[in-house]
Amino acid sequence: MQAKKLVFAVVAILLSAAAMQGQSPFAPRVTGPLSQRVVAYQIDATYVPDKHEVDATETLTYHNLTGKPLDHFPFHLYLNAFQPNSTWVREAHREGYFRSSTFNKGWDAKRNGSNDVTSLEVVGMGDVTKQIKFASPDDENPDDKTVIDVPLPRPVEPGQDVIFKIKFRATFPEVVARTGYKRTFLLAGQWFPKVGVWWNGAWNCHQFHAMTEFFADFGTYDVKITLPKDYIIGATGVQTSDTDNGNTTKTVAFHAEDVHDFAWTADPNFKVLESEFNGSVGAVRIRLLTYDSHKSSWQRYIDVMQGTMKRFDEWYGPYPYAQITVVDPPHGAMEAGGMEYPTFITGDTLWWAPKGQKAFPEVATEHEFGHQYWYAMVATNEFENAWLDEGINSYTEVKVMGSLYGKDTSLLNWLGAQMGDAADQRMSYLGVAETDPLSRTSYQDMSMGAYAGVTYGKTATMLLTLEAVVGQETLQKALHVYFMKYRFGHPTQEDFLRTVNEVAGQDLGWYWQQAVYGTQVLDYRVRRADSARVDWANKDAPEEKNGETPFVTNVLLQRLGDFIFPVVAEIKFDNGETIREKWDGQDRWKRYVYLKKAQVLSVEIDPDHQITMDRNYLNNSIATEPQRGAIQKIATYWLFCTQFFAQMLSWLA
Amino acid sequence: MADDNKGLVAAGASLVWRRQRVLWWVFAVNFILGAMGTASAHHQLEEVLGRSLAGRSLTNGFDLGMFLELVRVPESNLFRSHHDSLHAGILFFLFMLFITGGILTVYREDRKLKTGEFFGASGTFFWRFVRLALLALVPFIILGSALWGADKLSDYVGDRAVSAETGFYIFLAGAILITLLALFVRLWFDVAQVRAVVQDEHKMWSNLWKALGISWRNVSTLFRVYLCISGVAWVTLAVGLFLWAKLPPTATPVTFLLLEFIILMQLLTRLWQRASAITWYKRHAAAFPADAVDYTTPAPVELAELGAVLPEQAPARESEADGGTEIPKDSQQQP
Repeated sequence: MQAKKLVFAVVAILLSAAAMQGQSPFAPRVTGPLSQRVVAYQIDATYVPDKHEVDATETLTYHNLTGKPLDHFPFHLYLNAFQPNSTWVREAHREGYFRSSTFNKGWDAKRNGSNDVTSLEVVGMGDVTKQIKFASPDDENPDDKTVIDVPLPRPVEPGQDVIFKIKFRATFPEVVARTGYKRTFLLAGQWFPKVGVWWNGAWNCHQFHAMTEFFADFGTYDVKITLPKDYIIGATGVQTSDTDNGNTTKTVAFHAEDVHDFAWTADPNFKVLESEFNGSVGAVRIRLLTYDSHKSSWQRYIDVMQGTMKRFDEWYGPYPYAQITVVDPPHGAMEAGGMEYPTFITGDTLWWAPKGQKAFPEVATEHEFGHQYWYAMVATNEFENAWLDEGINSYTEVKVMGSLYGKDTSLLNWLGAQMGDAADQRMSYLGVAETDPLSRTSYQDMSMGAYAGVTYGKTATMLLTLEAVVGQETLQKALHVYFMKYRFGHPTQEDFLRTVNEVAGQDLGWYWQQAVYGTQVLDYRVRRADSARVDWANKDAPEEKNGETPFVTNVLLQRLGDFIFPVVAEIKFDNGETIREKWDGQDRWKRYVYLKKAQVLSVEIDPDHQITMDRNYLNNSIATEPQRGAIQKIATYWLFCTQFFAQMLSWLA
Repeated sequence: MADDNKGLVAAGASLVWRRQRVLWWVFAVNFILGAMGTASAHHQLEEVLGRSLAGRSLTNGFDLGMFLELVRVPESNLFRSHHDSLHAGILFFLFMLFITGGILTVYREDRKLKTGEFFGASGTFFWRFVRLALLALVPFIILGSALWGADKLSDYVGDRAVSAETGFYIFLAGAILITLLALFVRLWFDVAQVRAVVQDEHKMWSNLWKALGISWRNVSTLFRVYLCISGVAWVTLAVGLFLWAKLPPTATPVTFLLLEFIILMQLLTRLWQRASAITWYKRHAAAFPADAVDYTTPAPVELAELGAVLPEQAPARESEADGGTEIPKDSQQQP
């Protein structure tokens, strides 16, 4: 019996090992290649936890599909951003902060990070290490080392391959800007030398900026990571092997296809949870790497992942990969949270996060999964047009969160207070409504706040407002078409705008000019709404009677901002009659006059609350009767707070 | 002494109940100052929401987005009025500092004082209590610093711990300890105020140290009383806020009553602590004989006899001028 059990166990282990070896990076009904594979990375890395360092050998095969001979190659060395005089740090210092970190109190050595290329050989051309030069194409900062330029002894002809063999060391900072360590936890993002993108007839390889993210070519990744045995690891793609090295280490191999980046994480304290999503192309494994102290969030992570994947699958298109890895960073590592890499995302939560608030982990997780579509597959240039990934993703976040948790409660439904995700995006937009156009090169936005407000909030608000013009279903269809057409490519903002025009069947140039290329502010107002007796001049006029006395009603609408947008105004009368007027908004004001045996009760612009770009909701309506409910409620709360503060202070008397 | 401490909490409550005019007046002033501090915000709300339908989402629920818009949009900019609330709080603090002498006199006498008597007593003790309040800054600043230290310690330890809760529990433990210490400091200064009123102490510095000795020697009794009454305040606050969260969003009048009830209970429990402290002190005044002197009013003397009497009276007057800790006659009469 014992022998039988042993044989069964051995067979089971062999079968699972075989399955692991043969693990496809794609969902069951998907076969590659899905993208035009420009790069093939093979990386053999060893992680030294005590030093927070990785020593690695990288072999990059680059297929020259540019149609031109290439005589030099730029590479990103992103980790060099974490040095005091880098462009990234200068920008973060200028702003005083980056995400949850402050950058105005001196340089903390824990923030040091680096990518050191110790040798670079071009196969067939020799060692070119000495020819490497740092480049600063964006700001000419001589101290920035986030981009290197590698000149070749001879050009790589169109259609030919070139192979780079790079030895490098990555030193991670204490977690900042989406990468680094915290205690035993490591999030290794942007950790290896990554070649730039030949795009629009030139190399596109920006320095690392504080406000923006990344851009890279599609390809394949085969990465082996050697690390201590007790570490649990997760990464882009799927795990293909796990080899015990016979000492205190093991080597884990990962394989990914049709992705444009590779990130991984490791921590001996991880707790692994798995779930399966059955989408239109088959089962996708959801692998959650979390912690015991986040137990209250485990099911919430799984629920939001299931719900989000279902809606993306139904609304926009299939998720074609076999696995999505969700990392729940430990406490104190928020800087690693809320980040996206292909087939690999980081969420965020707090051990005490109340269920009534959905910012953590729901919104963070939904948003990062959304990036699998708007970044990982539709791989737009995040340096230059961040709104195409962050912004469109914020819009779909509003739609998915609203669908999952209620339109008006998708961010907060706790202690009697409610807030929808759309309102949050709008809040973000309101503060920077006129600072930057969406079309501006993103890292050149006015400030960090402006970048965030414009890229995330303004785009989401702009697309929500567009629903008032083309309809929600049309916009959803446009996003579906855009995704299906441009997945595994590098579309531009014009590609997106053109797609929406085509699906909507109308030229929306008037809208794009203001909302995307312009900084006009949208603000409409009801300036006047009143009724007066027609016979007001007659001293002997009969007594006023409901439904019998004629009134002349004046309604005056005004456009305060420069953003021209067609609006609907709803006029309600005291006889129950409701009229909806459409105004094209071209002129500065519009008057409506009604002669009725009824008086006006209220006038409201945008009664369906679709024009979320309107900067001021408070002036969108006038009621002829006092509206005291909200005033009394807020005044009551304010009074209580004042009294409570006063009695607390008197405790010191 | 143990028997004397029985029913102290109830006796304090009973005293507050018998002299409830004090509570209602304090509540009325708190309400009026609160209303004054809120008036400009109320006016602003009238300006932007008085004729707007935008407030409906706040009436039929509490749309935080709309509330934030009220805060953010320049036309409303709700929080520009927060200074008025701050000023109202400071005024109430000064008011309470002023009338504490009157309140303690009412509780000491356990009778209704005429308005003149009340404010006379308030004025008599005001500057002494100002001095005590200034001295109180020292321990409260130390405790505030300790809380800051607990926060930093919890960050430091929490940052190195695997468990996410570790830092929080360290801070929680520190905060609870500091709250209890703050409660003891409050008790200590309350006893000092009671001594100032009951024994007409003038020298607040020495009074403070004597009050500390008394508070420390009787800490088990007095602190238990204070903790018990504070517990009532905290539970009332928690239950009140729980009920508030359960109320329908449109029930503003009921919400108003509930929130005012919470304020009333907070003020009541504070007065309850003071009443309990003075009740305790009156019961045990005889236990501090070292400071006691004969407070019997001397019999009237003929002016012609004055010259002969003065030499004998001199030491007693000197004692009073020193801010000695004589126990008033009425206090001595109460065992």
